Amino acid sequence: MIPRPPTARIWRELKSAWAITKKDARIYYLRPGIIMFGVLFPLFLFLSFAIGRNLSADVLVPGLMAISVFFAASSIGPMAVPTERKTKTYERMVTAPVSPLSILFGEIAGGAIFGAIIATIPLVIGIAIYGTRIANPVGLIGALILISFAFSAMGIMFAAIPTDNPGDVMMILNFIRLPLLFVSGIFIPVSAMGVYGVVALASPLTYAKDIIQYALTGAGYYGPFIDTLGMVLFSGIFLWIGVYLHERNRRAG
Amino acid sequence: MKAISVDNLTRDYGTFRAVDHISFDVEPGEFFGFLGPNGAGKTTTIRMLTGLSEPTEGTALIMGYDIARDTYHAKEHFGVVPEVSNIYEDLSAWNNLMFAGELYGLSYTKRTARAREILDIFDLAEFRDKKVHGFSKGMRRKLTLGMALIHEPDILFLDEPTSGLDVESSLLLKEILSRMNREGTTIFLTTHTLEEANTLCNRIAIIVKGRIAAVDAPENLKKTIQTTQSVEVSLDSMTPRVTEDLAAIKTVTSSRHEGNKLRLFTPYPGDVATAVFAYAGEHHLKILSINTVGPSLEDAFLSIVQKQRNHRTGEMP
Ligand SMILES: Nc1ncnc2c1ncn2[C@@H]1O[C@H](COP(=O)(O)OP(=O)(O)OP(=O)(O)O)[C@@H](O)[C@H]1O
Ligand SMILES: [Mg+2]
Repeated sequence: MIPRPPTARIWRELKSAWAITKKDARIYYLRPGIIMFGVLFPLFLFLSFAIGRNLSADVLVPGLMAISVFFAASSIGPMAVPTERKTKTYERMVTAPVSPLSILFGEIAGGAIFGAIIATIPLVIGIAIYGTRIANPVGLIGALILISFAFSAMGIMFAAIPTDNPGDVMMILNFIRLPLLFVSGIFIPVSAMGVYGVVALASPLTYAKDIIQYALTGAGYYGPFIDTLGMVLFSGIFLWIGVYLHERNRRAG
Repeated sequence: MKAISVDNLTRDYGTFRAVDHISFDVEPGEFFGFLGPNGAGKTTTIRMLTGLSEPTEGTALIMGYDIARDTYHAKEHFGVVPEVSNIYEDLSAWNNLMFAGELYGLSYTKRTARAREILDIFDLAEFRDKKVHGFSKGMRRKLTLGMALIHEPDILFLDEPTSGLDVESSLLLKEILSRMNREGTTIFLTTHTLEEANTLCNRIAIIVKGRIAAVDAPENLKKTIQTTQSVEVSLDSMTPRVTEDLAAIKTVTSSRHEGNKLRLFTPYPGDVATAVFAYAGEHHLKILSINTVGPSLEDAFLSIVQKQRNHRTGEMP
Protein backbone atom coordinates (compact mmCIF):
# COMPACT_ATOMS: atom_id res chain seq x y z
CA MET A 1 0.00 0.00 0.00
CA ILE A 2 1.44 3.34 -1.04
CA PRO A 3 0.81 5.87 1.73
CA ARG A 4 -1.20 8.78 0.40
CA PRO A 5 -0.13 12.31 1.24
CA PRO A 6 -2.50 14.00 3.70
CA THR A 7 -3.58 16.63 1.14
CA ALA A 8 -4.92 13.87 -1.11
CA ARG A 9 -6.79 12.42 1.85
CA ILE A 10 -8.32 15.81 2.69
CA TRP A 11 -9.32 16.27 -0.94
CA ARG A 12 -10.98 12.83 -0.89
CA GLU A 13 -12.88 13.70 2.27
CA LEU A 14 -14.05 16.99 0.77
CA LYS A 15 -15.30 15.24 -2.35
CA SER A 16 -17.23 12.70 -0.31
CA ALA A 17 -18.70 15.46 1.86
CA TRP A 18 -19.74 17.31 -1.28
CA ALA A 19 -21.45 14.15 -2.58
CA ILE A 20 -23.46 14.09 0.65
CA THR A 21 -24.35 17.77 0.21
CA LYS A 22 -25.59 17.21 -3.34
CA LYS A 23 -27.56 14.18 -2.24
CA ASP A 24 -29.30 16.24 0.47
CA ALA A 25 -30.12 18.95 -2.06
CA ARG A 26 -31.62 16.45 -4.47
CA ILE A 27 -33.68 14.64 -1.89
CA TYR A 28 -34.68 17.06 0.85
CA TYR A 29 -34.86 20.64 -0.43
CA LEU A 30 -38.27 20.18 -1.95
CA ARG A 31 -39.76 17.89 0.68
CA PRO A 32 -43.17 19.19 1.83
CA GLY A 33 -42.02 19.15 5.48
CA ILE A 34 -39.06 21.37 4.62
CA ILE A 35 -41.09 23.83 2.57
CA MET A 36 -43.68 23.91 5.34
CA PHE A 37 -41.55 24.30 8.47
CA GLY A 38 -38.40 25.68 6.90
CA VAL A 39 -39.85 28.27 4.56
CA LEU A 40 -43.59 29.00 4.78
CA PHE A 41 -44.03 28.84 8.54
CA PRO A 42 -41.36 31.50 9.31
CA LEU A 43 -42.55 33.59 6.38
CA PHE A 44 -46.10 33.77 7.68
CA LEU A 45 -44.86 34.31 11.20
CA PHE A 46 -42.88 37.27 9.96
CA LEU A 47 -45.69 38.65 7.83
CA SER A 48 -48.17 38.49 10.68
CA PHE A 49 -45.72 40.54 12.68
CA ALA A 50 -44.84 43.03 9.94
CA ILE A 51 -48.18 43.71 8.28
CA GLY A 52 -49.82 46.92 9.38
CA ARG A 53 -46.77 48.28 11.15
CA ASN A 54 -45.51 50.44 8.37
CA LEU A 55 -41.90 49.35 8.88
CA SER A 56 -39.18 50.46 6.53
CA ALA A 57 -37.54 48.05 4.14
CA ASP A 58 -34.28 48.64 6.00
CA VAL A 59 -35.80 46.78 8.92
CA LEU A 60 -37.98 44.32 7.04
CA VAL A 61 -35.47 42.89 4.58
CA PRO A 62 -32.67 42.08 7.07
CA GLY A 63 -35.23 40.65 9.51
CA LEU A 64 -36.83 38.43 6.91
CA MET A 65 -33.47 37.33 5.55
CA ALA A 66 -32.27 36.36 9.01
CA ILE A 67 -35.45 34.44 9.79
CA SER A 68 -35.26 32.67 6.44
CA VAL A 69 -31.73 31.43 7.01
CA PHE A 70 -32.53 30.56 10.60
CA PHE A 71 -35.46 28.29 9.80
CA ALA A 72 -34.40 26.98 6.40
CA ALA A 73 -30.80 26.08 7.23
CA SER A 74 -31.68 24.43 10.52
CA SER A 75 -34.42 22.24 8.99
CA ILE A 76 -32.39 20.12 6.58
CA GLY A 77 -30.41 18.14 9.16
CA PRO A 78 -33.44 17.33 11.34
CA MET A 79 -35.23 16.08 8.22
CA ALA A 80 -32.35 14.24 6.55
CA VAL A 81 -30.62 12.50 9.44
CA PRO A 82 -33.61 10.78 11.13
CA THR A 83 -35.00 9.81 7.72
CA GLU A 84 -31.70 8.21 6.82
CA ARG A 85 -31.51 6.48 10.16
CA LYS A 86 -34.82 4.89 9.34
CA THR A 87 -33.88 3.81 5.81
CA LYS A 88 -30.37 2.84 7.04
CA THR A 89 -28.84 5.00 4.34
CA TYR A 90 -27.02 6.84 7.12
CA GLU A 91 -25.18 3.58 7.79
CA ARG A 92 -24.16 3.48 4.15
CA MET A 93 -22.19 6.66 4.71
CA VAL A 94 -20.70 5.35 7.95
CA THR A 95 -19.42 2.16 6.30
CA ALA A 96 -17.77 4.16 3.51
CA PRO A 97 -14.23 5.49 3.88
CA VAL A 98 -15.43 8.91 4.98
CA SER A 99 -14.68 10.31 8.43
CA PRO A 100 -17.65 11.03 10.74
CA LEU A 101 -16.66 14.69 10.65
CA SER A 102 -16.87 14.80 6.84
CA ILE A 103 -20.32 13.24 6.94
CA LEU A 104 -21.47 15.96 9.33
CA PHE A 105 -19.81 18.67 7.25
CA GLY A 106 -21.51 17.35 4.14
CA GLU A 107 -24.87 17.45 5.90
CA ILE A 108 -24.18 20.92 7.33
CA ALA A 109 -23.26 22.27 3.90
CA GLY A 110 -26.53 20.82 2.60
CA GLY A 111 -28.51 22.89 5.11
CA ALA A 112 -26.30 25.95 4.75
CA ILE A 113 -26.69 26.17 0.99
CA PHE A 114 -30.44 25.77 1.32
CA GLY A 115 -30.56 28.55 3.94
CA ALA A 116 -28.51 30.88 1.75
CA ILE A 117 -30.73 30.23 -1.27
CA ILE A 118 -33.92 30.89 0.70
CA ALA A 119 -32.43 34.08 2.17
CA THR A 120 -31.80 35.54 -1.27
CA ILE A 121 -35.55 35.50 -1.98
CA PRO A 122 -36.40 38.39 0.39
CA LEU A 123 -33.22 40.11 -0.73
CA VAL A 124 -34.25 39.96 -4.40
CA ILE A 125 -37.77 41.12 -3.50
CA GLY A 126 -36.27 43.96 -1.46
CA ILE A 127 -34.05 45.05 -4.32
CA ALA A 128 -36.81 44.76 -6.91
CA ILE A 129 -39.67 46.35 -4.98
CA TYR A 130 -38.26 48.49 -2.19
CA GLY A 131 -35.04 49.53 -3.88
CA THR A 132 -32.94 47.89 -1.16
CA ARG A 133 -29.25 48.65 -1.61
CA ILE A 134 -26.37 46.53 -0.43
CA ALA A 135 -23.87 48.73 1.36
CA ASN A 136 -21.26 45.99 1.69
CA PRO A 137 -21.72 43.14 -0.83
CA VAL A 138 -18.61 41.22 0.19
CA GLY A 139 -19.61 41.55 3.81
CA LEU A 140 -23.08 40.29 2.99
CA ILE A 141 -21.76 37.19 1.25
CA GLY A 142 -19.41 36.50 4.14
CA ALA A 143 -22.19 37.05 6.63
CA LEU A 144 -24.59 34.75 4.78
CA ILE A 145 -22.00 31.96 4.64
CA LEU A 146 -21.25 32.27 8.34
CA ILE A 147 -24.89 32.46 9.37
CA SER A 148 -26.03 29.62 7.14
CA PHE A 149 -23.27 27.43 8.47
CA ALA A 150 -24.11 28.27 12.08
CA PHE A 151 -27.81 27.55 11.78
CA SER A 152 -27.30 24.42 9.74
CA ALA A 153 -24.88 23.22 12.42
CA MET A 154 -27.61 23.93 14.95
CA GLY A 155 -29.96 21.68 12.96
CA ILE A 156 -27.34 18.94 12.82
CA MET A 157 -26.86 19.21 16.57
CA PHE A 158 -30.57 18.58 17.10
CA ALA A 159 -30.49 15.78 14.53
CA ALA A 160 -28.29 13.89 16.98
CA ILE A 161 -31.40 13.13 19.00
CA PRO A 162 -31.52 9.37 18.50
CA THR A 163 -34.83 8.92 16.70
CA ASP A 164 -35.77 7.82 13.23
CA ASN A 165 -38.75 10.15 13.02
CA PRO A 166 -38.00 13.65 11.63
CA GLY A 167 -41.19 14.95 13.30
CA ASP A 168 -39.73 14.27 16.76
CA VAL A 169 -36.69 16.42 16.06
CA MET A 170 -38.70 19.16 14.35
CA MET A 171 -40.96 19.44 17.37
CA ILE A 172 -38.10 19.84 19.84
CA LEU A 173 -36.33 22.15 17.43
CA ASN A 174 -39.32 24.49 17.16
CA PHE A 175 -39.59 24.47 20.91
CA ILE A 176 -36.13 26.08 20.89
CA ARG A 177 -36.29 28.07 17.66
CA LEU A 178 -39.36 30.12 18.54
CA PRO A 179 -38.03 31.52 21.86
CA LEU A 180 -34.73 32.26 20.13
CA LEU A 181 -36.70 34.18 17.54
CA PHE A 182 -38.74 36.15 20.07
CA VAL A 183 -35.70 37.41 21.97
CA SER A 184 -33.65 38.09 18.85
CA GLY A 185 -34.46 41.74 18.30
CA ILE A 186 -36.26 41.04 15.04
CA PHE A 187 -39.76 41.55 16.42
CA ILE A 188 -38.75 44.06 19.08
CA PRO A 189 -35.54 45.98 18.45
CA VAL A 190 -32.91 45.33 21.09
CA SER A 191 -32.67 49.10 21.67
CA ALA A 192 -36.31 49.06 22.76
CA MET A 193 -35.86 46.16 25.20
CA GLY A 194 -34.08 48.24 27.81
CA VAL A 195 -32.28 46.12 30.41
CA TYR A 196 -33.93 43.02 28.97
CA GLY A 197 -31.87 43.59 25.85
CA VAL A 198 -29.22 41.44 27.48
CA VAL A 199 -31.40 38.38 26.87
CA ALA A 200 -30.99 38.98 23.15
CA LEU A 201 -27.31 38.14 23.47
CA ALA A 202 -28.29 34.54 24.17
CA SER A 203 -29.88 34.12 20.74
CA PRO A 204 -27.63 33.52 17.73
CA LEU A 205 -30.37 35.04 15.60
CA THR A 206 -29.65 38.42 17.21
CA TYR A 207 -26.17 38.56 15.70
CA ALA A 208 -27.41 37.14 12.41
CA LYS A 209 -30.00 39.83 11.94
CA ASP A 210 -27.64 42.54 13.10
CA ILE A 211 -24.82 41.58 10.76
CA ILE A 212 -27.16 41.35 7.77
CA GLN A 213 -28.54 44.75 8.65
CA TYR A 214 -25.01 46.08 8.87
CA ALA A 215 -24.05 44.61 5.47
CA LEU A 216 -27.17 46.03 3.83
CA THR A 217 -27.46 49.44 5.44
CA GLY A 218 -24.02 50.11 6.84
CA ALA A 219 -25.38 50.39 10.39
CA GLY A 220 -25.98 47.75 13.04
CA TYR A 221 -26.67 47.69 16.76
CA TYR A 222 -23.68 45.69 17.93
CA GLY A 223 -21.35 46.26 15.01
CA PRO A 224 -19.74 43.68 12.71
CA PHE A 225 -17.01 42.63 15.13
CA ILE A 226 -19.31 41.51 17.94
CA ASP A 227 -21.76 40.01 15.44
CA THR A 228 -19.05 37.95 13.78
CA LEU A 229 -17.66 36.88 17.11
CA GLY A 230 -21.14 35.87 18.26
CA MET A 231 -21.82 33.82 15.14
CA VAL A 232 -18.42 32.12 15.24
CA LEU A 233 -18.90 31.27 18.90
CA PHE A 234 -22.35 29.80 18.35
CA SER A 235 -21.14 27.87 15.29
CA GLY A 236 -18.34 26.42 17.36
CA ILE A 237 -20.67 25.42 20.17
CA PHE A 238 -23.23 23.83 17.83
CA LEU A 239 -20.55 21.99 15.92
CA TRP A 240 -18.77 20.78 19.02
CA ILE A 241 -21.92 19.50 20.72
CA GLY A 242 -23.17 18.04 17.43
CA VAL A 243 -19.97 16.12 16.75
CA TYR A 244 -19.88 14.89 20.34
CA LEU A 245 -23.48 13.65 20.31
CA HIS A 246 -23.30 12.03 16.87
CA GLU A 247 -20.07 10.30 17.82
CA ARG A 248 -21.69 9.04 21.00
CA ASN A 249 -24.59 7.63 18.97
CA ARG A 250 -22.18 5.90 16.64
CA ARG A 251 -20.36 4.21 19.49
CA ALA A 252 -23.62 3.04 20.97
CA GLY A 253 -24.77 1.70 17.54
CA MET B 1 -2.23 -11.78 5.14
CA LYS B 2 -5.80 -12.70 6.04
CA ALA B 3 -8.71 -10.95 4.41
CA ILE B 4 -10.52 -10.84 7.73
CA SER B 5 -8.97 -11.63 11.05
CA VAL B 6 -11.17 -11.63 14.12
CA ASP B 7 -9.76 -11.96 17.60
CA ASN B 8 -11.92 -12.32 20.69
CA LEU B 9 -14.57 -9.98 19.34
CA THR B 10 -17.22 -9.29 21.95
CA ARG B 11 -20.23 -7.04 22.10
CA ASP B 12 -22.42 -6.28 25.11
CA TYR B 13 -25.76 -4.51 25.02
CA GLY B 14 -26.13 -3.48 28.63
CA THR B 15 -25.74 -6.68 30.58
CA PHE B 16 -26.64 -8.84 27.57
CA ARG B 17 -23.70 -10.34 25.69
CA ALA B 18 -24.73 -10.51 22.02
CA VAL B 19 -21.33 -11.67 20.74
CA ASP B 20 -19.03 -13.54 23.06
CA HIS B 21 -15.28 -13.71 22.35
CA ILE B 22 -15.42 -14.99 18.82
CA SER B 23 -12.23 -15.58 16.83
CA PHE B 24 -11.78 -16.72 13.26
CA ASP B 25 -9.90 -15.88 10.06
CA VAL B 26 -11.11 -15.57 6.51
CA GLU B 27 -8.56 -16.18 3.76
CA PRO B 28 -8.40 -13.92 0.71
CA GLY B 29 -10.66 -15.32 -1.99
CA GLU B 30 -12.68 -17.39 0.41
CA PHE B 31 -16.48 -17.61 0.39
CA PHE B 32 -17.18 -17.61 4.10
CA GLY B 33 -20.58 -18.35 5.58
CA PHE B 34 -21.78 -17.16 8.95
CA LEU B 35 -24.62 -19.40 9.91
CA GLY B 36 -26.81 -19.25 12.98
CA PRO B 37 -30.34 -19.18 14.30
CA ASN B 38 -32.24 -15.93 14.86
CA GLY B 39 -30.63 -13.68 17.43
CA ALA B 40 -27.34 -15.60 17.39
CA GLY B 41 -25.30 -12.45 16.81
CA LYS B 42 -24.69 -12.55 13.05
CA THR B 43 -25.77 -8.99 12.36
CA THR B 44 -24.02 -7.71 15.45
CA THR B 45 -20.80 -9.32 14.20
CA ILE B 46 -21.12 -7.83 10.71
CA ARG B 47 -21.82 -4.43 12.24
CA MET B 48 -18.63 -4.60 14.23
CA LEU B 49 -16.61 -5.80 11.23
CA THR B 50 -17.87 -2.93 9.09
CA GLY B 51 -17.34 -0.19 11.66
CA LEU B 52 -21.01 0.41 12.45
CA SER B 53 -20.69 -0.47 16.09
CA GLU B 54 -17.77 -0.70 18.42
CA PRO B 55 -16.70 -3.97 19.98
CA THR B 56 -16.85 -4.11 23.76
CA GLU B 57 -13.71 -6.20 23.54
CA GLY B 58 -11.46 -7.73 20.92
CA THR B 59 -10.21 -6.68 17.50
CA ALA B 60 -11.01 -7.18 13.84
CA LEU B 61 -8.54 -6.65 11.00
CA ILE B 62 -9.74 -6.07 7.45
CA MET B 63 -6.95 -6.68 4.92
CA GLY B 64 -4.59 -6.10 7.81
CA TYR B 65 -6.16 -2.80 8.89
CA ASP B 66 -7.71 -2.56 12.34
CA ILE B 67 -11.32 -1.50 11.83
CA ALA B 68 -11.30 0.41 15.13
CA ARG B 69 -7.96 2.16 14.75
CA ASP B 70 -7.28 2.33 11.01
CA THR B 71 -10.93 2.69 10.09
CA TYR B 72 -10.38 4.68 6.93
CA HIS B 73 -8.11 2.17 5.21
CA ALA B 74 -10.14 -0.79 6.40
CA LYS B 75 -13.29 0.72 4.93
CA GLU B 76 -11.70 1.26 1.53
CA HIS B 77 -11.43 -2.50 1.14
CA PHE B 78 -14.98 -3.66 1.64
CA GLY B 79 -18.51 -3.20 0.42
CA VAL B 80 -21.58 -3.89 2.55
CA VAL B 81 -25.02 -5.28 1.76
CA PRO B 82 -26.99 -4.93 5.00
CA GLU B 83 -30.11 -6.79 6.12
CA VAL B 84 -32.36 -4.09 4.65
CA SER B 85 -31.74 -2.59 1.22
CA ASN B 86 -30.49 0.87 2.10
CA ILE B 87 -30.97 2.86 -1.04
CA TYR B 88 -32.41 6.30 -1.68
CA GLU B 89 -36.07 6.00 -2.61
CA ASP B 90 -36.16 9.45 -4.14
CA LEU B 91 -33.14 8.98 -6.35
CA SER B 92 -32.98 7.05 -9.61
CA ALA B 93 -30.98 3.83 -9.84
CA TRP B 94 -28.32 5.81 -11.68
CA ASN B 95 -28.08 8.56 -9.08
CA ASN B 96 -27.91 6.00 -6.30
CA LEU B 97 -24.91 4.43 -8.02
CA MET B 98 -23.35 7.83 -8.67
CA PHE B 99 -23.69 8.75 -5.01
CA ALA B 100 -22.07 5.48 -3.93
CA GLY B 101 -19.25 6.05 -6.43
CA GLU B 102 -18.61 9.57 -5.17
CA LEU B 103 -18.70 8.45 -1.57
CA TYR B 104 -15.86 6.03 -2.37
CA GLY B 105 -13.94 8.74 -4.19
CA LEU B 106 -14.24 7.36 -7.73
CA SER B 107 -13.58 9.79 -10.58
CA TYR B 108 -16.46 10.72 -12.87
CA THR B 109 -15.18 8.51 -15.71
CA LYS B 110 -14.61 5.59 -13.37
CA ARG B 111 -17.95 5.73 -11.62
CA THR B 112 -20.02 6.16 -14.77
CA ALA B 113 -18.21 3.23 -16.40
CA ARG B 114 -18.72 1.05 -13.31
CA ALA B 115 -22.37 2.08 -12.98
CA ARG B 116 -23.08 1.07 -16.59
CA GLU B 117 -21.38 -2.26 -16.04
CA ILE B 118 -23.34 -2.89 -12.85
CA LEU B 119 -26.68 -1.98 -14.39
CA ASP B 120 -25.95 -4.50 -17.13
CA ILE B 121 -24.87 -7.29 -14.77
CA PHE B 122 -27.99 -6.86 -12.66
CA ASP B 123 -30.39 -6.42 -15.54
CA LEU B 124 -31.34 -2.95 -14.36
CA ALA B 125 -30.26 -0.94 -17.40
CA GLU B 126 -33.79 -0.17 -18.51
CA PHE B 127 -34.66 1.20 -15.04
CA ARG B 128 -31.57 3.37 -14.87
CA ASP B 129 -33.45 6.68 -14.68
CA LYS B 130 -36.44 5.43 -12.70
CA LYS B 131 -36.72 6.38 -9.06
CA VAL B 132 -36.17 3.47 -6.69
CA HIS B 133 -39.58 4.22 -5.21
CA GLY B 134 -41.34 1.83 -7.60
CA PHE B 135 -38.73 -0.94 -7.50
CA SER B 136 -39.57 -4.49 -6.43
CA LYS B 137 -37.81 -6.10 -3.50
CA GLY B 138 -35.55 -8.05 -5.84
CA MET B 139 -34.58 -4.95 -7.80
CA ARG B 140 -33.78 -3.13 -4.59
CA ARG B 141 -31.60 -5.99 -3.44
CA LYS B 142 -29.76 -6.02 -6.73
CA LEU B 143 -29.20 -2.28 -6.64
CA THR B 144 -27.97 -2.48 -3.05
CA LEU B 145 -25.48 -5.14 -4.09
CA GLY B 146 -24.51 -3.07 -7.12
CA MET B 147 -23.84 -0.06 -4.92
CA ALA B 148 -21.67 -2.18 -2.64
CA LEU B 149 -19.62 -3.23 -5.65
CA ILE B 150 -19.11 0.16 -7.27
CA HIS B 151 -15.56 0.54 -5.94
CA GLU B 152 -14.61 -3.07 -6.73
CA PRO B 153 -13.98 -4.01 -3.10
CA ASP B 154 -11.69 -6.87 -2.07
CA ILE B 155 -14.20 -8.03 0.49
CA LEU B 156 -17.97 -8.08 0.37
CA PHE B 157 -20.08 -8.34 3.52
CA LEU B 158 -23.63 -9.55 2.99
CA ASP B 159 -26.27 -9.88 5.69
CA GLU B 160 -28.88 -12.37 4.51
CA PRO B 161 -28.73 -11.18 0.91
CA THR B 162 -31.43 -13.48 -0.45
CA SER B 163 -33.97 -13.31 2.34
CA GLY B 164 -37.39 -12.38 1.01
CA LEU B 165 -36.45 -12.92 -2.63
CA ASP B 166 -38.25 -15.25 -5.01
CA VAL B 167 -36.48 -18.30 -6.40
CA GLU B 168 -35.38 -16.65 -9.61
CA SER B 169 -33.99 -13.46 -8.07
CA SER B 170 -32.28 -15.41 -5.36
CA LEU B 171 -30.67 -17.73 -7.93
CA LEU B 172 -29.45 -14.79 -9.99
CA LEU B 173 -28.00 -13.16 -6.91
CA LYS B 174 -26.23 -16.35 -5.87
CA GLU B 175 -24.87 -16.80 -9.36
CA ILE B 176 -23.43 -13.30 -9.33
CA LEU B 177 -21.90 -13.87 -5.91
CA SER B 178 -20.30 -17.15 -7.02
CA ARG B 179 -18.89 -15.51 -10.10
CA MET B 180 -17.48 -12.60 -8.15
CA ASN B 181 -15.92 -15.02 -5.72
CA ARG B 182 -14.32 -16.96 -8.58
CA GLU B 183 -12.96 -13.68 -9.87
CA GLY B 184 -11.26 -13.11 -6.54
CA THR B 185 -13.62 -11.23 -4.22
CA THR B 186 -13.64 -12.48 -0.66
CA ILE B 187 -17.19 -12.95 0.52
CA PHE B 188 -18.53 -12.94 4.06
CA LEU B 189 -22.17 -13.91 4.11
CA THR B 190 -24.62 -14.47 6.91
CA THR B 191 -27.59 -16.69 6.39
CA HIS B 192 -29.87 -19.08 8.13
CA THR B 193 -30.53 -20.97 4.93
CA LEU B 194 -28.43 -24.08 5.13
CA GLU B 195 -28.77 -24.79 1.46
CA GLU B 196 -27.34 -21.40 0.64
CA ALA B 197 -24.39 -21.90 2.93
CA ASN B 198 -23.90 -25.42 1.61
CA THR B 199 -23.86 -24.56 -2.08
CA LEU B 200 -21.98 -21.25 -1.89
CA CYS B 201 -19.49 -21.39 0.93
CA ASN B 202 -16.00 -22.83 1.16
CA ARG B 203 -16.18 -22.60 4.91
CA ILE B 204 -18.91 -22.02 7.44
CA ALA B 205 -18.84 -20.71 10.97
CA ILE B 206 -21.80 -21.72 13.05
CA ILE B 207 -22.68 -19.16 15.68
CA VAL B 208 -25.06 -19.88 18.51
CA LYS B 209 -25.89 -17.46 21.30
CA GLY B 210 -22.96 -15.26 20.43
CA ARG B 211 -20.40 -18.04 20.41
CA ILE B 212 -18.81 -19.90 17.56
CA ALA B 213 -19.78 -23.54 17.80
CA ALA B 214 -17.85 -24.76 14.77
CA VAL B 215 -15.84 -23.43 11.81
CA ASP B 216 -15.22 -25.80 8.92
CA ALA B 217 -15.97 -26.72 5.33
CA PRO B 218 -19.61 -27.75 4.84
CA GLU B 219 -18.51 -31.32 4.05
CA ASN B 220 -16.50 -31.56 7.25
CA LEU B 221 -19.31 -30.14 9.33
CA LYS B 222 -21.52 -32.89 8.03
CA LYS B 223 -18.87 -35.39 9.06
CA THR B 224 -18.85 -34.10 12.62
CA ILE B 225 -21.94 -36.19 13.13
CA GLN B 226 -20.59 -39.25 11.40
CA THR B 227 -22.90 -41.74 13.05
CA THR B 228 -25.83 -40.55 11.00
CA GLN B 229 -24.02 -41.35 7.74
CA SER B 230 -25.06 -44.65 6.27
CA VAL B 231 -25.30 -46.89 3.23
CA GLU B 232 -28.69 -48.28 2.31
CA VAL B 233 -28.54 -51.60 0.45
CA SER B 234 -31.10 -53.88 -1.07
CA LEU B 235 -29.96 -57.24 -2.58
CA ASP B 236 -32.12 -59.83 -4.35
CA SER B 237 -31.39 -62.28 -1.58
CA MET B 238 -31.26 -60.95 1.95
CA THR B 239 -30.63 -64.06 4.00
CA PRO B 240 -29.50 -63.72 7.63
CA ARG B 241 -26.09 -64.87 6.43
CA VAL B 242 -25.87 -62.03 3.91
CA THR B 243 -26.94 -59.39 6.41
CA GLU B 244 -24.41 -60.73 8.88
CA ASP B 245 -21.62 -60.50 6.31
CA LEU B 246 -22.61 -57.01 5.28
CA ALA B 247 -22.77 -55.83 8.88
CA ALA B 248 -19.25 -57.17 9.34
CA ILE B 249 -17.78 -54.91 6.67
CA LYS B 250 -14.91 -52.86 8.04
CA THR B 251 -15.90 -49.47 9.58
CA VAL B 252 -19.60 -50.37 9.80
CA THR B 253 -20.57 -49.40 13.32
CA SER B 254 -24.10 -50.75 13.36
CA SER B 255 -26.81 -51.97 11.03
CA ARG B 256 -30.56 -51.92 10.85
CA HIS B 257 -33.28 -53.49 8.73
CA GLU B 258 -35.60 -51.02 7.10
CA GLY B 259 -38.24 -52.87 5.08
CA ASN B 260 -36.39 -54.93 2.52
CA LYS B 261 -33.33 -52.74 2.90
CA LEU B 262 -30.39 -52.94 5.17
CA ARG B 263 -28.93 -49.77 6.55
CA LEU B 264 -25.24 -49.81 7.41
CA PHE B 265 -24.00 -46.94 9.59
CA THR B 266 -20.44 -45.84 8.99
CA PRO B 267 -18.19 -42.79 8.98
CA TYR B 268 -16.97 -43.89 5.51
CA PRO B 269 -20.01 -44.59 3.34
CA GLY B 270 -17.91 -44.55 0.16
CA ASP B 271 -15.65 -47.41 1.33
CA VAL B 272 -18.60 -49.40 2.58
CA ALA B 273 -20.43 -49.04 -0.73
CA THR B 274 -17.36 -50.33 -2.56
CA ALA B 275 -17.20 -53.30 -0.20
CA VAL B 276 -20.87 -54.04 -0.81
CA PHE B 277 -20.30 -54.12 -4.59
CA ALA B 278 -17.35 -56.47 -4.13
CA TYR B 279 -19.37 -58.75 -1.84
CA ALA B 280 -22.29 -58.88 -4.29
CA GLY B 281 -19.95 -59.68 -7.18
CA GLU B 282 -18.21 -62.44 -5.22
CA HIS B 283 -21.46 -64.08 -4.16
CA HIS B 284 -23.31 -63.54 -7.45
CA LEU B 285 -25.95 -61.42 -5.81
CA LYS B 286 -27.84 -58.74 -7.61
CA ILE B 287 -27.94 -55.23 -6.17
CA LEU B 288 -31.47 -53.91 -6.39
CA SER B 289 -30.56 -50.55 -4.95
CA ILE B 290 -27.74 -48.90 -3.06
CA ASN B 291 -27.67 -45.37 -1.64
CA THR B 292 -25.34 -43.49 0.57
CA VAL B 293 -27.41 -41.48 2.98
CA GLY B 294 -25.33 -38.66 4.37
CA PRO B 295 -26.35 -36.44 7.20
CA SER B 296 -27.64 -33.22 5.74
CA LEU B 297 -25.99 -30.01 6.71
CA GLU B 298 -29.23 -29.51 8.53
CA ASP B 299 -28.55 -32.52 10.75
CA ALA B 300 -25.09 -31.17 11.44
CA PHE B 301 -26.41 -27.72 12.18
CA LEU B 302 -29.11 -28.90 14.54
CA SER B 303 -26.79 -31.22 16.36
CA ILE B 304 -24.17 -28.51 16.78
CA VAL B 305 -26.72 -25.93 17.86
CA GLN B 306 -28.22 -28.38 20.33
CA LYS B 307 -24.86 -29.31 21.76
CA GLN B 308 -23.84 -25.69 22.14
CA ARG B 309 -27.14 -24.74 23.76
CA ASN B 310 -26.88 -27.53 26.31
CA HIS B 311 -23.29 -26.63 26.94
CA ARG B 312 -24.24 -23.01 27.65
CA THR B 313 -27.21 -23.85 29.80
CA GLY B 314 -25.09 -26.26 31.81
CA GLU B 315 -22.77 -23.38 32.51
CA MET B 316 -25.42 -21.07 33.89
CA PRO B 317 -25.41 -20.69 37.66
N1 LIG C 1 -29.11 -2.43 19.60
C1 LIG C 1 -29.35 -3.50 20.37
N2 LIG C 1 -29.70 -3.34 21.66
C2 LIG C 1 -29.93 -4.41 22.45
N3 LIG C 1 -29.85 -5.68 22.04
C3 LIG C 1 -29.53 -5.91 20.77
C4 LIG C 1 -29.25 -4.84 19.86
N4 LIG C 1 -28.95 -5.37 18.66
C5 LIG C 1 -29.03 -6.70 18.81
N5 LIG C 1 -29.36 -7.04 20.06
C6 LIG C 1 -29.52 -8.39 20.58
O1 LIG C 1 -28.37 -9.12 20.27
C7 LIG C 1 -28.68 -10.44 19.86
C8 LIG C 1 -28.07 -10.73 18.53
O2 LIG C 1 -28.74 -9.97 17.55
P1 LIG C 1 -28.35 -10.03 16.02
O3 LIG C 1 -29.19 -9.04 15.33
O4 LIG C 1 -26.88 -9.92 15.88
O5 LIG C 1 -28.80 -11.51 15.63
P2 LIG C 1 -28.81 -12.22 14.21
O6 LIG C 1 -27.98 -13.42 14.34
O7 LIG C 1 -28.45 -11.25 13.15
O8 LIG C 1 -30.34 -12.65 14.08
P3 LIG C 1 -31.29 -12.72 12.80
O9 LIG C 1 -31.04 -14.04 12.16
O10 LIG C 1 -32.65 -12.65 13.39
O11 LIG C 1 -30.99 -11.55 11.92
C9 LIG C 1 -30.21 -10.54 19.88
O12 LIG C 1 -30.59 -11.19 21.05
C10 LIG C 1 -30.67 -9.11 19.88
O13 LIG C 1 -31.86 -8.98 20.60
MG1 LIG D 1 -29.46 -10.45 11.52
